[in-house]
Amino acid sequence: MSEDARLKFYCDEHRCISCDGCSVACAEAHELPANINRRKVVTMNEGILGLEYSLSIACMHCTDAPCEQVCPTDCFYIREDGIVLHDKEKCIGCAYCLYACPFGAPQFPTDGAFGIKGVMDKCTMCAGGPEETNSHEERELYGQNRIAEGKVPVCAAMCSTKALLVGDSEEISAIYRERVLSVGHGAKTQPYGWSTAYGSKV
Amino acid sequence: MKSKYIIVTLLVLSSLAFGYSESAVWSDNLIDNILGYDKQGSLHLGQYFTILQSTYFKPLFLGVLLGVPAVFLLHYLVIGPMIFSHDRKKIYVFTLFHRIIHSIAGISFILIIPTGLIMMFATTFGGGEFVRVCKEIHAISTLLFIVSIVPMFFMWLRWMFLHWDDIKWLMIVGGYLNKDKKPVPAGRFNAGQKTWYWLATLGGFVMIFTGGAMYFQDFRFDILNTYQISQIDFLRASAILHNVLGLAIVALFFVHIYMAVFAIKGAIHSMINGYKEEEEVEILHSSYYKELKEKGEV
Ligand code: HEM
Ligand code: SF4
Ligand code: SF4
Ligand code: SF4
Repeated sequence: MSEDARLKFYCDEHRCISCDGCSVACAEAHELPANINRRKVVTMNEGILGLEYSLSIACMHCTDAPCEQVCPTDCFYIREDGIVLHDKEKCIGCAYCLYACPFGAPQFPTDGAFGIKGVMDKCTMCAGGPEETNSHEERELYGQNRIAEGKVPVCAAMCSTKALLVGDSEEISAIYRERVLSVGHGAKTQPYGWSTAYGSKV
Repeated sequence: MKSKYIIVTLLVLSSLAFGYSESAVWSDNLIDNILGYDKQGSLHLGQYFTILQSTYFKPLFLGVLLGVPAVFLLHYLVIGPMIFSHDRKKIYVFTLFHRIIHSIAGISFILIIPTGLIMMFATTFGGGEFVRVCKEIHAISTLLFIVSIVPMFFMWLRWMFLHWDDIKWLMIVGGYLNKDKKPVPAGRFNAGQKTWYWLATLGGFVMIFTGGAMYFQDFRFDILNTYQISQIDFLRASAILHNVLGLAIVALFFVHIYMAVFAIKGAIHSMINGYKEEEEVEILHSSYYKELKEKGEV
């Protein structure tokens, strides 16, 4: 990863098979409560032939994050590498971030019988809390900090078709570009043989 | 009779919350909610909410918080309070029921307004547990507010309709720009009081409704589907309305306090013991005074 890396997610809708592996992996890895879905798989244009596709979405760690702009407690922290985190000790659970978010990412646990909303929870890009204490409390509040351990976020790591990509935005776009270009090679018309393996010249 | 309305209101509010169990925000509706940010066919409320909340609401509230008291201080220093004779007879204007309902409303306002402002300026208060407690107080005192505002709406309704006096009252700003004791055109309630009444009751109803929507957040409200409004857009509309109306309510609440406590010396006593000074009624509610005279009640 370069010094000025800008971390991003990208979900390749040509590859996503809507298996929900990412969201299950996320929920398990961070031991999220039952009604919290940091990541969700959605299907667009459902039932429309040729237009249907699935996508995995979570917090997109926006540039100029709208959530950060509206938060009345100013509890968001945007890291150098673009990961958007928030401080749960300060958050009051007002849900303004949810109203501002273009992706429906912020989640609110309901505790108690009166449906009182708890503080906000969202995808941390597996980077733990705003202060990297690597403590038990940090883990309880924000889940694992895989980034600190040099590991890939668990949802993308688990993705069996590698539809869900995460990393430096430039590298992600390079990978996607390569995928698109290779799709342009068209369908294989010749069986694999000598020329494919060794070239046409003998 | 009055308790009937309270029960109906509570039932309507609670049915909003417990109707369904599947999430209206994050289940299948998630796509509609996402498209509701600023895509075609949506109300574009995502961007408006973001712009309003990030740049306008706080300065506007700060403006009201500092501006309104500043204007009053000026008024107090330049023109000064109206002082009415306490030697004449007293007129019984508010029954015990009126006063009890008004006190409950007063208590709920004193709880709701500061806690609302604390949420608004949460950063200043450091966020966290203190502001969370204020948020719960804000929600719980709403119940008290409902209990008071519904009977208040009905008990004063018949005196609150627009009257010629109100136009004349507005033209002379209620006679507050000088200290002459000329009779001011007003019935039992003047145009200013009527504005406050409508804002507190109808406006209050909108505050309860939008606040309730934000509180319960994840409920199903079938009218929304009919009009193809996504849940998130509805919540955004609620947040915008709650803040805009909140601004007006805070401003008029300050006006109300100033009038009762400072501008008219002793006016607050009428809400405590039910009696107004005869001279006060004669000057500030001249049409009402005439009416009482014709009936021979004074
Ligand atoms: C008639 C008066 C009012 C009523 C009945 C009312 C009611 C409510 C309710 C029920 C909520 C949801 C509470 C919660 O989420 O815990 C709420 C939220 C809120 N109210 Fe009010 N309110 C009133 C006036 C105000 C005023 C004057 C302000 C001024 C600043 C204000 C600011 C807020 C804010 C910032 C929220 C945050 C959203 C949230 O926490 O969900 N409210 N209100
Ligand atoms: S919570 Fe929403 S607005 Fe904030 S960074 Fe994530 S996707 Fe963007
Ligand atoms: S819910 Fe928490 S993080 Fe979201 S805007 Fe409110 S205080 Fe900020
Ligand atoms: S990056 Fe981590 S926290 Fe975010 S959705 Fe993936 S697994 Fe969950």
